[in-house]
Amino acid sequence: MKRYTLLIILSFAALTMKAQTETLNEQWFEQANAAYNAGNYDSAMRLYERILDTDVESAPLYYNMGNAYYKMREYPMAIYCYEKALKIDPSDDDARTNLEIANLAIVDKIEPVPQSFIVRGWNGMKHWLSGDQWAYVSLAAFALAFLAAGLFLRARRTGLRKLGFFGGIAMVLVFTLSVLFAAQLKRASLTQDQAIVMTPTVTVKSSPNTASVDLFVLHEGTKVSLLDGADGWSKIKIANGSIGWLQDDFIRPF
Amino acid sequence: MKKIFKLFVFLVCVAPMALWAQDDPKLTVSAKKQVMVGERFQVVFEANAEGKHFTAPTFEGFDVLGGPFTSSSSSVQIVNGSISRTTKNTYTFALQASREGTFYIGPASLTVKGNKVASQSFSITVVPDDGSHAAPSDKGNGNQGQSQSSSDPQVNGKDLFLKVVPSKKTAYVGEQIVLTYKLYTKVPVSSLSVEHVPAYAGFWTKDITDNNGGSLRQSSEYINGVEYTTADIQRIIIVPQRSGNLTLDPMTIECVAQIRTQGSSRQSNDPFDIFFNDPFFNRNIANVRKELSCNSLNIEVKNLPENGKPASFAGAVGNYNFKSDIDKTQLKTNEAFTLTLAVSGTGNIELLQMPEPTFPPDFEVYDPKVTTSYNHTANGLSGTKKAEYLVIPRRAGSFDLTPVEFSYFNPSNGSYTTLYSDAYAIQVEKGTGSESEEGGIFASNQEGIKYLGSDIRHIATGNPRLKPTHSSFFATPLYFIVLVALLLVFFILLMVLKKREMLRQDNAANRNRKADKVARGRLKQASQYLKVKDQDKFYVELSQALWGYIADKLSIERSKLSIDTVSETMRGKNVPEDLTQQFVDTLNSCEFARFAPGSADEKMEDLYRRGIEVITKAEKIL
Repeated sequence: MKRYTLLIILSFAALTMKAQTETLNEQWFEQANAAYNAGNYDSAMRLYERILDTDVESAPLYYNMGNAYYKMREYPMAIYCYEKALKIDPSDDDARTNLEIANLAIVDKIEPVPQSFIVRGWNGMKHWLSGDQWAYVSLAAFALAFLAAGLFLRARRTGLRKLGFFGGIAMVLVFTLSVLFAAQLKRASLTQDQAIVMTPTVTVKSSPNTASVDLFVLHEGTKVSLLDGADGWSKIKIANGSIGWLQDDFIRPF
Repeated sequence: MKKIFKLFVFLVCVAPMALWAQDDPKLTVSAKKQVMVGERFQVVFEANAEGKHFTAPTFEGFDVLGGPFTSSSSSVQIVNGSISRTTKNTYTFALQASREGTFYIGPASLTVKGNKVASQSFSITVVPDDGSHAAPSDKGNGNQGQSQSSSDPQVNGKDLFLKVVPSKKTAYVGEQIVLTYKLYTKVPVSSLSVEHVPAYAGFWTKDITDNNGGSLRQSSEYINGVEYTTADIQRIIIVPQRSGNLTLDPMTIECVAQIRTQGSSRQSNDPFDIFFNDPFFNRNIANVRKELSCNSLNIEVKNLPENGKPASFAGAVGNYNFKSDIDKTQLKTNEAFTLTLAVSGTGNIELLQMPEPTFPPDFEVYDPKVTTSYNHTANGLSGTKKAEYLVIPRRAGSFDLTPVEFSYFNPSNGSYTTLYSDAYAIQVEKGTGSESEEGGIFASNQEGIKYLGSDIRHIATGNPRLKPTHSSFFATPLYFIVLVALLLVFFILLMVLKKREMLRQDNAANRNRKADKVARGRLKQASQYLKVKDQDKFYVELSQALWGYIADKLSIERSKLSIDTVSETMRGKNVPEDLTQQFVDTLNSCEFARFAPGSADEKMEDLYRRGIEVITKAEKIL
């Protein structure tokens, strides 16, 4: 009995501690927003960073940080934060808009390789919801699919059985898609397969070696995809499909 | 002319001649041996006989200005009774020397009475123009009896020269410089014309020469103690447009100087000459044409300093004042007000770029009416440039007109100055009836949203929805637990449903199984009533045995039990037609007997037997 009491007290203490950090973080968030509104982007940024240091993250947090960096004219960091926000919640329309605006402020303008309409449609659908939301949708679709199956198997009336049949097929489809979306988004959020160039001017090399041929020059704020990495070098690909090697010091992966 | 006159007198006075004497035909040529470049002169070929087919030489190295001009004359002379006749044909060419050198002129030829006569070839040396060369004027007036003196009078370069005087030799880009072209002379000048105007490359120019009635402004000036009469030929403002060492090429003018010749040097016995050389007709003045060039000029143009250059600087250089004026600040919508910006001062007011005010977006602004008024002094251009903006506010409200900024560079102290216009607060009230004026419908008042700028969207507020870094709900244990739980719920649900269904089915099977037993129990009871001859109870038992049996066997609900449903269900279950018929008949007879009592015992016996029979038969099939 004594042991149980101790366990209960301990878990209760842990819970209250967690709740305290949460409320503290929310307070900081509000203070930071107030500082931002007052034009003190510097102090807003410090508060946002403090929240990040407690090992939490969220799309609104990164979005606000991006805004603060943008206002301080640190466009590469602003782009980085917007990209982070979009990675957590691809459905964040504000972050997407501000990312486009921030991308106008940087030097490099790269014509992206056009995507097929299937890829665009797939990504467009994937970005309707965040990864967690897709997970919830998959669970709901799963439950509904079985409900529909039950209806199909057990209903006496033909109308209901038809509803069960077609509804079941639709729900299986929704379940499959949402599981795929959720899986893709989760994988994307766990792997750092993209990066932002942080150094004002960098030269992309043909191989991971400073003595190799200069291929092209990138400027700060440009997004690159990371394909491979070795010994402090990363194999990168830019939006127009060009591939080369960059030193890891120059880029910030996300 | 005079000679012809004399000849005429001679011909009239002297009797016609009787004898003719004629020389051999000859073709002689006369021309100057030495000319200057650009000088015009004549080459005269003279033949002493009538001839045909005159061929001229090619005058290589010279421009043929005209010719051949032919003239012929003949004279008859009687000296001591011998008559001699002279015929003279002249072929005259007007030439101009175009370049230096010695040029050979070939012979000209003429055919006289079938014989070809040629002139002597000769050469002409062309020497460079020494600058003091003055071409003889061919503009001599008719009443100036004396036209050209045979020895060309020269004008001394010190007596007549052209000078250009700049107001300054170093200037900033955009700063104005006044150039004055002055003619210095000690001799009278009758006319002048500008031959070559400098190109002024790199400058904006404005001619400000006083042209009052065509006469030049004259004054006198001493140079090294010598008095000169000066005339401003041209006064021009130049404004450098780029920096560097800019060179102005010289201006060239051509003027005609009037030079007094040394009395009447020519004495002649000719009475006509005496007559025409009368001092009354002859003023002894030579018109000497002279080309004058001024010195070329270097002007060092400096760039405007970069440090301290205001953002509003638009190239104005000089010394300016900036004023603004507004006619009203309180008005109603759709009424107009006028904002006037005026820049006045010294500088290139004509090229001045007026500062542009910014108006609130709901104001309708018309293109400004720009008026420039300027005058020029020895310092250059000065004046006023005004821009009048007619503005019509279309929406009510209070608006602020921000001050307009005007910057200029002052070359005298080498610094920039920024001036501001006044700020105005404008109150616009809603005008009456403006809607009806604009068409009377509300739709006409609508307008699309005007985007004034673009900015990032504002920060997110409210719940930050914080969660641990790299946490994702998908594929976590919780996710799978929920999935499995859902699966379990479904199967439990399915099993419950199945159980209930089975229970229902079990019920029907029971009834089926027990139907025979129940029926037989009822029949047994009926047989007892048969023995005691209790008709009513017998028929009730019998009919209940039959109905109950068929209802249990065919799983028909009691409420729906009737002859029709029974026969229908039996047909549906593929019961042979005769058995169905038999069963239905038995049921009918039983019902009939039940409600129509008083029949014999045999009938009861018979019905009982038939009942047992159909149930036994049915039991075999169902």
